[in-house]
Amino acid sequence: MTNSAPPPDRLGRDFLVSLYERMVTIREFEEGVRFLFLEGAMPGTIHQCQGQEATAVGVCAALGAGDFITSTFRGHGHALAKGLSVEEVLFELFGATTGCCHGKGGSMHVGNMDRGMVAGIAIVAGGVPLAAGMALAFKMRKEPNVVACFFGDGAVAEGAFHEGVNLAAIWDLPVVYVCENNLYGASTRVDRVMRNPRISDRAAAYGIAGRTVDGNDVVAVYEAAKEAVADCKSGRGPVLLELLTYRLTGHSRRDACHYQPAEERQEWHGRDPIDRHGRRLIDEGLADQAALDRIRATVVTRFQAAVAEAKKQPQPTLADLTTDVFA
Amino acid sequence: MDVPMRMPDLATTDSPVKVIRWLVDPGQPVMRGQPLMEVETDKAVMDLESVVTGVLSVASVQPGDEVMVGQVIAVFEAEGAAGPVTPPDGTGASKTPPQPPSAPTTGWLGRNAPVPTTKADASRVSFFARNRARREEPTRKRGLPLSIPQKTLARRMTLSQQTVPAFDLQISVNAGPMLARRAAASVGRPIAWDAFFVHAVGQALAKFPDLCHRYEDDRLVPHAVIAVNVAVDLGGDLFAVTVDRPEAKSIEAVSDEIRAGVARLDSGDPHARVTKRAVLTVSNLGSTGVEAFRAVINPPETAVLAVGRVGPAVVAVDGRAVVQNRVNLTLSVDHRVVNGKYAAGFLMAIARALEAIATHEGEPI
Repeated sequence: MTNSAPPPDRLGRDFLVSLYERMVTIREFEEGVRFLFLEGAMPGTIHQCQGQEATAVGVCAALGAGDFITSTFRGHGHALAKGLSVEEVLFELFGATTGCCHGKGGSMHVGNMDRGMVAGIAIVAGGVPLAAGMALAFKMRKEPNVVACFFGDGAVAEGAFHEGVNLAAIWDLPVVYVCENNLYGASTRVDRVMRNPRISDRAAAYGIAGRTVDGNDVVAVYEAAKEAVADCKSGRGPVLLELLTYRLTGHSRRDACHYQPAEERQEWHGRDPIDRHGRRLIDEGLADQAALDRIRATVVTRFQAAVAEAKKQPQPTLADLTTDVFA
Repeated sequence: MDVPMRMPDLATTDSPVKVIRWLVDPGQPVMRGQPLMEVETDKAVMDLESVVTGVLSVASVQPGDEVMVGQVIAVFEAEGAAGPVTPPDGTGASKTPPQPPSAPTTGWLGRNAPVPTTKADASRVSFFARNRARREEPTRKRGLPLSIPQKTLARRMTLSQQTVPAFDLQISVNAGPMLARRAAASVGRPIAWDAFFVHAVGQALAKFPDLCHRYEDDRLVPHAVIAVNVAVDLGGDLFAVTVDRPEAKSIEAVSDEIRAGVARLDSGDPHARVTKRAVLTVSNLGSTGVEAFRAVINPPETAVLAVGRVGPAVVAVDGRAVVQNRVNLTLSVDHRVVNGKYAAGFLMAIARALEAIATHEGEPI
């Protein structure tokens, strides 16, 4: 499992290295934020995605600038993968007015419409019908764009999932439904709540295509997402992609994660998406260890600079209380 | 240099975080990210990871301590200080300027950041920094935080006053028989006053079974156990000692049970501190000297019996004024369970049981 197939030649070295860099950016961001939380510098609780970087990066790499994503409360990785800057996401986590949601979204609602990301939708499965609505807009305006809708395995049990996917299916909407199946809905293992834990099988019930992909192999995710996007753009959407992955951290920073058995954690640590892609780059002669280390060092330096900046960012004032709100 | 670490915001409800045990001893080296101690939040037991790489020099909190978010839990001897992330060696990391201490004590993020005086500075202070400053104001300004049992009590009493339509009945009872029984039995430990009332309540409940129900969604559900609680005030926290089926026991046995229960509460036994189900609570303020009072029903119990002091009073007996030791009982009852007439019968039965107490155990009533 820890070995990944060589990437197709057509992807090119720069692209493959950029996938690595994007994943490292997310990992270092999450690790940095984890300590900022422990140090008391970051308020509120935080839902992190260490271990799931390949799903966000692989899918978003298959999207164009005009394509949109919807995300969840675990959205830092999606945001950074879709092209939001480390700074605008970090500033948002600090509640600064210079954050991507002007400090009003915080960790659970990062997003930036200009970069094709609706602010994170923290209601489980809440993004599924919204993505159908966005895709309907694309279709009615005859715009050739798609929506990638991220959700977790827990969302599949929600009524909104059924309603949203069914609508998208009967109207042939260009939505790639991306289920990040990390085996646990908060603390509940999928096989405790599903008789058939293969989520992609559900696609058949809606008459759409469903595929299960190794979600810790960034190239496999990219290839599958690219195919799904092409299907959507040619009117054969929606598509349900199930990406098998694993959260190497608690559900939130306050979650002790006791429900993940030690052997299972160990096993998935061995499938770390960043390590796997890094090894593949080295094995294929596309990069050496020093180059990968340089990438990480650059990412770390940028993150540290962003933290220093974040601490100096302006905080909302009373006058900001009534801006960006409807009522 | 000394680097402190503070308790992170691991709890969900502003409640304290309890230290279970240290996983590192003072003098031992610690890596950033290494589990430092086991803590218990209002949600779970979890490992707390160090934010510092260094040697643990002071363990500022001890197992059992309830620590507030932001309180210093440890001090480390650190070589310089760890940045947010340790870059791999020899990869340009040396170009990275050293980061400030990972747990700064002053400045924008510091807990002790001075409150800025100029307007220009004020705009730089975050909402959270201001909140933190406010949190650290003397408690006289912000009010004292409630203990966990006090919080529970506050919730239950509010629930009672908002949802239970209660009415009150009052009666004065001759305390002579109780005093006689106490005097006769005072060779060993004196009988706990509460025992008389608990025992009498048990007898009365046997005759008025409708009271052994609680109201729930337009139904009267029988209480699972026929038990009576005794309210116990321990240093400002209210707890209950539960006596099961008191009518089946002697007054002395009930007394022993209550005293043992209070001793368990006193010992800090967490199991004893959990209030068990009962039909009603006896709340006795007799020792304070109050004559009578009204108590609040503790849902899902059906009633509460408030007991005033035992003391001499002038009463009319056979047309003559007589001085007699009396005690006032106030019964508050959930009107959804029984009506006034039934509750009055119940209170009278309690009074009769108290006035019929024999001087010696085993004597026919």
